[in-house]
Amino acid sequence: MPDNATLIFSSVGYTNQEVAVNGRATLDISLAPDAQALSEVVVVGYGTQQKRDLTGSVARIEAKEIVNQPVQTPTQALQGKTAGVQIISNGTPNGQPTVRIRGTGTLLAGASPLYVVDGVQTTDIRNLSNSDIETIDVLKDASAAAIYGVRGANGVIIVTTKKGKQGKPVLSYNNTVGFKQATRLVDMADAGQYVNYLQDTAPNVTLPDFTGTTNWYDQILRTATYQNHNLAVSGANENVRYYFSGNLLQDDGLAITNRFKRLTVRSNTEFILSSKVSISSQASFSRADTRDVNFGTAFQNAYRASPLITAKQDGRYGNTSAFGNVGNPLLDIEKNDNKSLENRLQGNVGLNLTPIEGLTLRSAINVDLTYNNRRVYNYQYANDEITFLEAGGNQRNDRSALFVTQINSTRYLWENTATYQRLLGDKHNLTVLVGTVTEEGQTNSLAGSRFDVPADPNQWYLGTGDPNTAVNSSPALGKDRRLSALGRINYVYDGKYLFTSNLRYDGTSKFNSDQRWGLFPSVGLGWVLTEENFLKDQQLLSFLKLRASYGRLGNDQIDPNSYITTADINIPYVFNSRPVLGAVINQIKDRNVRWEVTREYDAAIEFGLLDNRLSGEVTYYDKLTTDALIPVNIPALFGDPDNQYITNAADISNRGLEAALNWRANVGERFSYNFGVNATFNKNRIEKLNGGQALFGGANNVTRSGNGVAAGTFYVLKAVGVFQNQAEIDAYPKYTFETPKPGDLKYADANGDGTIDLRDRVNAGSYQPPMYFGINGGLTFSGVDLSFVFSGNVNNDVYNRKKQATGQVTDNIEADFADNRWTPTNPSNTDPASIRNNTPNSTYFIESGSYIRLNNLVLGYTLPTELVKKIRMSSLRIYATGQNLFTVTNYSGFTPELPGGPLDSGIEATTYPTSRTLALGLNVNF
Amino acid sequence: MKTIFSPLNRRFRLAALGLALTVGAAGCKDFLEVAPQGQLTEDQIKTDPAAAQKLVDGVYNVMYLGGFGSDIHGLQYVMLTDVASDDADKGSSPQDYGSALEVDNLTLNSTNDIVNNAWQGYFQGINRANQALDKLPLSPAPEATRNRLIGEVRFLRGYFYFNMVRLFGGVPKLDRVPLASEINDPSLQRRATAEEIYQLIIDDLQFGVDNLPLKGATETGRATKAAAQALLAKVYLYQKNYQKAYDLTSEIVQGNSGNYGLLPNYENIWREVGANSEESVFEVQTGINAACNNSAVNLYVVSQGPRSGGKGGWADLGFGFNNPSRQLADAYEPGDKRREGSIIFITTAKTGTVLWDGFRIPSQDSVENSRYSYKAYHSRTMERNCGNNDYLPKNIRIMRYGEVLLLNAEAAFQLGRTAEATTVLNRLRTRAGLPARTGLTLQQIWQERRVELALEHDRFFDLVRQESVQPGRIVPLYAAHGKTFTKGKNELFPIPQQQIDLSGGVLTQNPGY
Repeated sequence: MPDNATLIFSSVGYTNQEVAVNGRATLDISLAPDAQALSEVVVVGYGTQQKRDLTGSVARIEAKEIVNQPVQTPTQALQGKTAGVQIISNGTPNGQPTVRIRGTGTLLAGASPLYVVDGVQTTDIRNLSNSDIETIDVLKDASAAAIYGVRGANGVIIVTTKKGKQGKPVLSYNNTVGFKQATRLVDMADAGQYVNYLQDTAPNVTLPDFTGTTNWYDQILRTATYQNHNLAVSGANENVRYYFSGNLLQDDGLAITNRFKRLTVRSNTEFILSSKVSISSQASFSRADTRDVNFGTAFQNAYRASPLITAKQDGRYGNTSAFGNVGNPLLDIEKNDNKSLENRLQGNVGLNLTPIEGLTLRSAINVDLTYNNRRVYNYQYANDEITFLEAGGNQRNDRSALFVTQINSTRYLWENTATYQRLLGDKHNLTVLVGTVTEEGQTNSLAGSRFDVPADPNQWYLGTGDPNTAVNSSPALGKDRRLSALGRINYVYDGKYLFTSNLRYDGTSKFNSDQRWGLFPSVGLGWVLTEENFLKDQQLLSFLKLRASYGRLGNDQIDPNSYITTADINIPYVFNSRPVLGAVINQIKDRNVRWEVTREYDAAIEFGLLDNRLSGEVTYYDKLTTDALIPVNIPALFGDPDNQYITNAADISNRGLEAALNWRANVGERFSYNFGVNATFNKNRIEKLNGGQALFGGANNVTRSGNGVAAGTFYVLKAVGVFQNQAEIDAYPKYTFETPKPGDLKYADANGDGTIDLRDRVNAGSYQPPMYFGINGGLTFSGVDLSFVFSGNVNNDVYNRKKQATGQVTDNIEADFADNRWTPTNPSNTDPASIRNNTPNSTYFIESGSYIRLNNLVLGYTLPTELVKKIRMSSLRIYATGQNLFTVTNYSGFTPELPGGPLDSGIEATTYPTSRTLALGLNVNF
Repeated sequence: MKTIFSPLNRRFRLAALGLALTVGAAGCKDFLEVAPQGQLTEDQIKTDPAAAQKLVDGVYNVMYLGGFGSDIHGLQYVMLTDVASDDADKGSSPQDYGSALEVDNLTLNSTNDIVNNAWQGYFQGINRANQALDKLPLSPAPEATRNRLIGEVRFLRGYFYFNMVRLFGGVPKLDRVPLASEINDPSLQRRATAEEIYQLIIDDLQFGVDNLPLKGATETGRATKAAAQALLAKVYLYQKNYQKAYDLTSEIVQGNSGNYGLLPNYENIWREVGANSEESVFEVQTGINAACNNSAVNLYVVSQGPRSGGKGGWADLGFGFNNPSRQLADAYEPGDKRREGSIIFITTAKTGTVLWDGFRIPSQDSVENSRYSYKAYHSRTMERNCGNNDYLPKNIRIMRYGEVLLLNAEAAFQLGRTAEATTVLNRLRTRAGLPARTGLTLQQIWQERRVELALEHDRFFDLVRQESVQPGRIVPLYAAHGKTFTKGKNELFPIPQQQIDLSGGVLTQNPGY
């Protein structure tokens, strides 16, 4: 080391210190705690703000927390990371996780947050490569999200992608390669258990001659491949700043034939034309290539298929349906080919001006273009001995068919903002933002189908099919526009007193002209106590802030034509033996539909102790959505085929407490560690429902969202035991449905009227957890790094619908049920003798949804710099990562993580088995 | 303006202009007026002369509803009319379709999905009719055309209500387009009396009688004057207004309402060759569309088709529901040609059963059930189809001349015109190859009705009606069929619990459920 060298000492949580060596042999260094730790800059929508100056709730997740996880979307990587943000993943490749920020604030499908990717507003960020993300900021409360007005009610997730950093070009390559396997498969009865069961429940069924056991899950599942490669070049000088990357992701599904591949290319550039003018652009192109599987039938049938039928032998399938069972699930998967190719271009071009000091003007065009091409081919096969080992049954497809659908959608946003920031005197820090947004989205589509298309995939074009069967249509069409004006004032006095106010005025084309415009204001106040003199002379408390805010937000995420009565066209009938096309008006619509409004109070204490080694935040929030848009079930009397119409009927509240506590410390120079916990307690409640009319939802109306309960509350009969004998049945209140036999479930006469019927249903919990949590931590030691994330739900309920959804008596049962079910010799008082297709909804199918899961564990090693320099690298890190390593739960199904809409979450019907991913990764920088 | 911006440079002024333009655009109301894309709105219907006709055609389409969802003429309608009676059993494999078994055994309760699906289907039909009736007066078409179209729609609405009142008794009476704001209005949901519903049906059908053209003066498949007369006559028979029933049917029988007659071969009535024949008075028209998926009653044929069972080993024709009962098979007099024309008999003989088109069903040990409905059979080889078994184009005969004769005979008999009744009835017996009756009794007319209209979705209603004319028969008939009919309960099906729930309890349940 040369004597005139300068050493840089750095450590997380401490400020860097540069020390000139000056020929000394030993140096004593003490690093100062980083006072900025709580002063990081966060993105708040149309601007940034010091985190310490915030009066609302904003959580930030850094890139490094995301990229280590072998997951397909960044949303999945957020699981367990921050309080108030619930991520419910589903195992499907390219599946969109359900995200709920501070509970479910609406009953419509539009409960997901708004994503803003470099200014582009979207509801889907599955096109993004995780490696391209710099930060994710979550705007949780109304005062933070109010700047997004009518899109802000469900919270806002702002994704900022990477930019080049000053310096010469950096080339980096990251990869992760591994495999996925199913975890927690449900054990089905084997042949012996199944035969015993059938002898009891369906003695008339003639059993096939088959001595083995077919495990249908083994037949349709596999170990799948995961790999992710990312190559990026970035850098910046005084004229230009650039970041280019390419990413290839393969994330195949567990079901055979279920595949997913995605290519992403990104170009982020900024050209600095002068000290006052710059042009910036962020653009990404993605191409997603998917082969889907019809999970609805494949997984349900795999659960129900008889173990006595051979799956496939010498190219011919076992005929499950000829045995009075479901269709052969393996055939179902193999005889359908459902592929989609989606190209998406997302990005913006902006002009930034700084005409005078402190004033920034920006005008940007943001675009999001999606082009999706789906092609579904159904092979022809008959229920004969060419396809099946034996002929018969009802599983057949008499004519091959090809369906092609192309959907393209365009959305643009033109944003104009002016931001003026000024320090008046040395104590008044003022920032003022005004702006306008113009937005238009449009979707076009073209769909066609023909029969008798040859089975060779090279022939899968519409032209090869029977022209007499040609059909074409435009299934998805829509156009919507919004106009908005926005403004914000931030004022900080002396670093102590904080004031923020947002105002947004929104107009939308989705409502009629009387209901179209809305004003969404917010105000927030904060007080940094540690800036006060009375807290200056103490060492314990390094930061203490109190803040409170109030705001109003809107949600207009409904179908654009909700308020206009339209006729369905092309309704066929035949006159004079010729087809004619009629029209039908059958949708009931509320002309005065308007957006739902959420008002929210938020109050928090933020603190840092012991030089901010311990930091934390406790927040109370109170959200009330009024006039929530809901599909109100209407009597069939109204002739509406879906038996519902949409209106502003409900008030929903979410009240809760979020707490997060983080410990971050260094021990010596080479060892640092951190540990954090966060917990969210949320109470969701439907406060008011259109004069008390409750909403039923879920398969078989298993949920009822009524006054005073959480949205999607299970509403079922209460199972209180099993009838042991006829005498017990005779003495019990009469069933109005099928007369019970010994071994049937006994239901409570909840309303005490002496009969058991659907009036005896009771509220029996909901999927919404009263508490969910995340635990994360990590350590670094001499190049070794380790990090982990746990997450879980506490005390929520799930409904095991797949167990109930039997169709035929020949359906298979779970091994546990086979062992525990009631028989005259096994007088169980919990499990009935059998579950039939008319077994009503009851608490028997409700199980605890509590779980804790090790979401992710990463162990990495960064090779010493001097070593990698010899091979011309600036850094090299290798790591092993595991996603979803284990789950502790009492739930008997595949997974207690069951995404769904507000009225039907937590119901396991045809859920994709969850997977565990194990992978090795490499990060190289040149 | 100028003074404010003058200190600033030119670029800023440009940007300010841009901003001002956008704010200006924000004030522009038209930007937010976005009409629905690619959809027909109510306003367009009002100005388009062809639209009224389209809405009427859209009402006919509702008669295709079937499958396992909302139903008008599909398998579930078959369950409620044939399987619920002593003419048929559920069929298929014993374990299949539990809710249909409940209907078969009359053990169903209010949560049975079949009754709910029928309720939904028929109210969809009624509402489509009301929507069309709401718009028709605005049509620029000539008054005569308008009245014909209104007549067609009211005929269909009357027919839908007639099935509803027979299935459920008094139902809510909806004769206009309800507003979204009325959804919680109890007065809309309250059940009208059966008499009020019958009055609506009679008014609708009478309008049809007065305004519909004769057969041949309108497109095949549209409601005609004779269709309205025949259906109204049947309604009057249910009302025991025999004079009106007699008068209306006599018009048809005397040839005043168009040319109608009996098809010489009974077995051809339900085949393609018999579609829209001289015997047809009103039938659901089906056909083939390019998509091969929506121009027929969903699952109607395939659900009643013979099903593989036992040893299997053949590509079967359907799900095997709606098996003609032993009682029905035994109800035919020896030599009655209608027996072989109505029922497919599965045999234990090695020859199997060869159908009219040459299709061979193997012998009993490979077939699930012993008897199937021949009337629901659609030949895959000799009758048109596009390969989609779910939508085989079988026209459903709602009213045919044979039934007009039966209505006429029964009304005549009740009016004391026994000789006339005998003559009319014997026309059917002659065709069936049976000797003419003398000394006619009401029982014999009903016996003739049973075998003539077997498996034509009338028997359950007819049994209930006959019981009100001559009490004491229905319980033994069901007992002979091995089932229990509870008087005071089973005359009607339960009001679907889901609908009671949705009405907030305003809808009341039928007795006994």
